[in-house]
Amino acid sequence: MSEAVKVVDDVTFEELLANPYPVFKRVRDLGSVVKVDAANIMMVTRFDDIMAIERDPETFSSINPQSLLNTVIGPNLMRKDGEDHARERAAMDPSLRPGVVKRCWAEPMQVICDDVISQIEHKGEAELFEELAAPIAARALADILGFDGVDWQTMALWSQSLIDGSGNYSHDPEIARKAREAASGVESAVDRMLPHHRANPNPSMLSSMLQADPPQTVEQIYANIKVAIGGGLNETRDSILTLILGLLQNPDQLARVRAEPSLWGQAFEEAVRWISPIGMYPRRLTRDTEISGTLVHKGEQVGLCVGAANHDDRRFSDPDKFDVFREKKSHLAFGAGSHFCAGTWVSRALVSQIVVPMVFERLRNLRLKDPELVRVRGWVFRGPTHMPVVWDA
Amino acid sequence: MPTIRFLLADGAELAVEAQNGRTLMETALESSVPGIIAECNGSAACATCHVVLPEEIMVALGPISEHENDMLDFAEAPRESGSRLSCQVRVSDMLDNVSVRIPSA
Repeated sequence: MSEAVKVVDDVTFEELLANPYPVFKRVRDLGSVVKVDAANIMMVTRFDDIMAIERDPETFSSINPQSLLNTVIGPNLMRKDGEDHARERAAMDPSLRPGVVKRCWAEPMQVICDDVISQIEHKGEAELFEELAAPIAARALADILGFDGVDWQTMALWSQSLIDGSGNYSHDPEIARKAREAASGVESAVDRMLPHHRANPNPSMLSSMLQADPPQTVEQIYANIKVAIGGGLNETRDSILTLILGLLQNPDQLARVRAEPSLWGQAFEEAVRWISPIGMYPRRLTRDTEISGTLVHKGEQVGLCVGAANHDDRRFSDPDKFDVFREKKSHLAFGAGSHFCAGTWVSRALVSQIVVPMVFERLRNLRLKDPELVRVRGWVFRGPTHMPVVWDA
Repeated sequence: MPTIRFLLADGAELAVEAQNGRTLMETALESSVPGIIAECNGSAACATCHVVLPEEIMVALGPISEHENDMLDFAEAPRESGSRLSCQVRVSDMLDNVSVRIPSA
């Protein structure tokens, strides 16, 4: 006997933004698919269910031509499946493979990180969102895309405007206008850069897209570069801050990681499990089906709450705790299936091998200025939004 | 139907009936072979379905793609001369009774 989708109607949107994990737990324990009225979505929150869904893209499709994401940035690989998706993904991958990251991107990322830290090092205090994580994430992304000469503030504005536009379910005209402005800014930048990349093949994403077989059309390049800008900046920024926060709140773990640098990778995986930068993404049903006994109908959309799955106490013990040394298990912070995050290897290298080790190396005796001042917010996208710190300058 | 002999990291062997045309990764998942996680479900993006094949099978399978080659250097267990991503290897009669080792991380 299949069950109907249960409903949670007494949670506010503000509760989700402030701290979604108690809501996620309640929803996870209530059923395999639960409609949460405040978010206006049917949530799937259990680890095993999401993994199973991501192994069945024919039933749980990413294709959604009417989605806001497609309206804002054009038909893109995030809303395609199968061969169409694979071809566009393959056109980006040569810039993002782990070996390419190591050979081509590690050094420029080191330079960016050194430069940003040098600007604040003498001050003894900083707000790490604005003064460290955002500029590093934006500049690294600009390099990888092949966007020479675009400053980090512009990258950050484009990224946020595209994200806001893609989530503009209330059709706010101002948000829509900013998203259009960002989209045309990106398109003009692509137009400016393409001749250079056509004439000088290089490891950047723009160049990879031009070298792909078959080469990507300008429309495909516009759309997928916008995906990379919307999806490649905030997540890196947020995971830098989350890893620093987890370690600052747990000095014993920080000491062990610093004493044994091979643990940085493990510390990073725990950080993105603990506060996953992307907490939810949608899939659409192509037929009536059951998800662990709950019936969902063709055409309906479910929100895969990977942020919830990463706190599923069926899989992770004491899941709300940051614990670098917990029993090793795979998480869903990078998603799963064919849409597995294309930037995974860049973020692993940049955040866990370059930025955060350098932060603790250079900002001596780094500590939170006041734990009460730290702000962490969001549920679809979640991360520290304000993090004042002090160190011995 | 070829039989694939998965050699687990703890030394145990798990013999599995496989279907030609499926990938080794899919075959492993269907029998819940420990150590094959396959987060990206066959897209060669996550390097969590690493296996080690015998030398003669490596030769017979022919060259691997640049993408897979790059990924294999970053799998959790160190790369060996017989390393492959099991999602990129299709089952055929050639693999009948072949030992497919899951390297320990």
